Amino acid sequence: MEIKTINYDKIDETMYLYQHKSGLKVFVIPKKGYSKKFAAFGTHYGSINSEFVVNGERVKVPDGIAHFLEHKLFEQKDGSVMDKFSKLGSNPNAYTSFSQTVYLFSCIDKFFENFNLLLDYVQNPYITEESVEKEKAIIGQEIRMYEDNPDWRVFFNLLDAFYKENPVKIDIAGTIESISKIDREILYKCYNTFYHPSNMVIVVVGDVEVEKVFQMVEENIFKSEKDIEIERIFPKEPDEINKHYKEQKLAVAMPLFLMGFKDVNFESKGINCLNREIAVKILLEIILGRSSDLYTELYNEGLINNTFDFDYSIEENYAFSSFGGESKDPLLVKEKVISKIEDLCKKGIDEKDYQRIKKAMRGRFIRQLNSVDRIAHMFMSVYFKEVNIFDYLNVYDQITFDYVEKVFREHFNKERLAVSVIKPIS
Amino acid sequence: MFKDSQAKKIASFNGITLFWIPTNKFKTNSINIFFHDNLTNANASKNALIPAVLRRGCTKYPSIRDISLYLDELYGTSFDCGVTKKGENQIIQFYIEYISDKYISENIDITKKAFDFLMEIITEPVLEDGCFKNEYVAQETEKMKELIKGRVNNKMHYAVERCLEEVCKGEPFGIYDYGSLENLESINCKDLYEHYLKFIKTLPMYVFVSGDLKPEDIDYIKDNLFKIDREEVIDIKEAEIEIAVDKVKNVTETFDVNQGKLSLGFRTNTYPNDEEYYKLILYNSILGGGVHSKLFQNVREKEGLAYYVFSRLEKFKGLMVISSGIEIENKDKTIEIINKQLEDIAKGNITEYEYEAAQKSIETGIKSIKDSQLQLVDFYLSQYITKSEDTPDMVIEKVKNASIKDVADIALKVKLDTIYFITNNEKEI
Repeated sequence: MEIKTINYDKIDETMYLYQHKSGLKVFVIPKKGYSKKFAAFGTHYGSINSEFVVNGERVKVPDGIAHFLEHKLFEQKDGSVMDKFSKLGSNPNAYTSFSQTVYLFSCIDKFFENFNLLLDYVQNPYITEESVEKEKAIIGQEIRMYEDNPDWRVFFNLLDAFYKENPVKIDIAGTIESISKIDREILYKCYNTFYHPSNMVIVVVGDVEVEKVFQMVEENIFKSEKDIEIERIFPKEPDEINKHYKEQKLAVAMPLFLMGFKDVNFESKGINCLNREIAVKILLEIILGRSSDLYTELYNEGLINNTFDFDYSIEENYAFSSFGGESKDPLLVKEKVISKIEDLCKKGIDEKDYQRIKKAMRGRFIRQLNSVDRIAHMFMSVYFKEVNIFDYLNVYDQITFDYVEKVFREHFNKERLAVSVIKPIS
Repeated sequence: MFKDSQAKKIASFNGITLFWIPTNKFKTNSINIFFHDNLTNANASKNALIPAVLRRGCTKYPSIRDISLYLDELYGTSFDCGVTKKGENQIIQFYIEYISDKYISENIDITKKAFDFLMEIITEPVLEDGCFKNEYVAQETEKMKELIKGRVNNKMHYAVERCLEEVCKGEPFGIYDYGSLENLESINCKDLYEHYLKFIKTLPMYVFVSGDLKPEDIDYIKDNLFKIDREEVIDIKEAEIEIAVDKVKNVTETFDVNQGKLSLGFRTNTYPNDEEYYKLILYNSILGGGVHSKLFQNVREKEGLAYYVFSRLEKFKGLMVISSGIEIENKDKTIEIINKQLEDIAKGNITEYEYEAAQKSIETGIKSIKDSQLQLVDFYLSQYITKSEDTPDMVIEKVKNASIKDVADIALKVKLDTIYFITNNEKEI
């Protein structure tokens, strides 16, 4: 068994890697002295993969199916796998995002019994028509819950404003109407397409015996080499945004907003995608972070409060920045952001700000390595972009001011600025 | 040396108690300073405004921008403050977390810098004509009003908090963490500053330092805490826990929502420092503390009524809440299924699986506390408030001693007080 060891001496971390003959890669990040052990088994398949070609057949499936499949995988021939994890005292969970589905557990004891269960159930779906119908009621309530959640709605409305065609604008769980079309056969078709080990990854974080993890994978992954080719089909998305403004009314006390810039011309794989992420995040800090003049102005004028936050997302076929929170006048915030950006275009970015913020962000990155859960989640969120979380350290070491300036001029284009607002009903 | 999981009491003077949690497994160290007050209508909003105003600036860093510039230079040190309630105590927290020396190339004595900063924030506010800066007080009062009004935005949390407030209507626990809009209206800059002077001098203080620190760092912190000008500290009252329920209350609020939210509020009549409390922990876990629980298995898995359903304890006031998001027309049916679970547990109809899984789930939860500095601090602070000497391992042991019969016995003490429901206008119930 060939095990690769990578040391990150500057931050006292080590990562071990092994590849199974099926193509499945397995990573272990040991955390000495931690009680909690965390394992995640993820597939490169999420809510945006509703159209694909497999073995020459072009398939279009109902929205929400990746998430539905995630729910159904917990059901096994002899009952719910949740119960088996519960007996071991561990916490099983799973989540579906736009481009991945991840099955995980955290535990204190009996790591290998838990790990064996994880490997087993993710490889062995047992889906019946009856259980599919029952799940429609539960997921129906999950969809209803999100319909009333203003943070969720303001986010999806922004995606709808950005994108004309991109499936990222569709709610991960689908709609009550779309999930009504899901049946057993179509779930198996998606499973058989996207759950081949070569399309998957395992990461284990915690104080575990490294070799035993790899040994267990070696013995318990039963598929061998890749037997299918998947072609993911995405509709063509124009560079321009779908609409500049989208508004919805909900039972909230004061308006909330999310706005941002749709990104174009980005590389979505490899270190360049992390470079761009860090560059935009540094720029967002410079433009509207707590140390900026703009933040002070918006805060003092009562246009934002402590709910204000910002972020940048970059995935395989979309990328965008976003910032928002509660505000009595979201459109005035927009005007002030635009004029600040125009001002920075003229004056240029101060290199001292860049240096200071980079130093702070590097420190905050290291702090995140305190948490076993956080490491595993961060790992999964970047892995299918063909990078690993420790690559962020290289980004902080190598990123240049010139590059950040270049990204500033590319990304913050007001033609691609969209605004989403949730207003109170009355 | 001390055991990794232990909070060591370093010193106690002038109503200030200093704890150290030595550990070297984290990449950061943290300092937490807590002030405790009794939760009252008169003080709740004032106490909530104090950290909000103090975080606007101190003499040395007089604005959010200045603070932020400084913390960026300290390698992205994070600082925050705010209020929470534990039972009928209002707790005002000041927190700083900074990267450990070993990940910093320059020698800057970051612990000393972080502690000094936190002290400057607390003791050297920006003053104007011998009072807080009026602009800061006015702005923070407005923002706190927004915060109170904004409670309704998250219906899931709102349904839990409002239910427990209704259970304790007229008792101190019924006061919201930030007080009320009426109270905020009546606060002026001068009152608030006078309140602050009393706050600093007379509220009991708990200081928790955690991480890989040198003894001289601890000495430095102790010596400087000693310099704070203090007077006799106030008494913190214990919450009243044993309260009889005459009649179950029904409270309904109407919003324009798609999903109904059902919360049931209970009095457990159990004190957190009583041996009975460990039985209650087990009871709650079997009832609604995870995927193994009766509520999850029946309300969600068997009946498909909900996506989420859980029960949770508020240990300091002896309360329990069950909460779920459901179709509005399923309210009665859901209550019926919940009642059936409550009856079963009281009869001792608990399977071996439910018992074992609940035990293990509690053990996992408590052992996980050791992996987070904030959770460790919160655990020991809570123990201190309830005057319990138990470490996490001792809590696990005591819960292990609870039997199925103990769970059925404790069930008899848990009394339904309030049924709270969020509905919409469209459908008649």
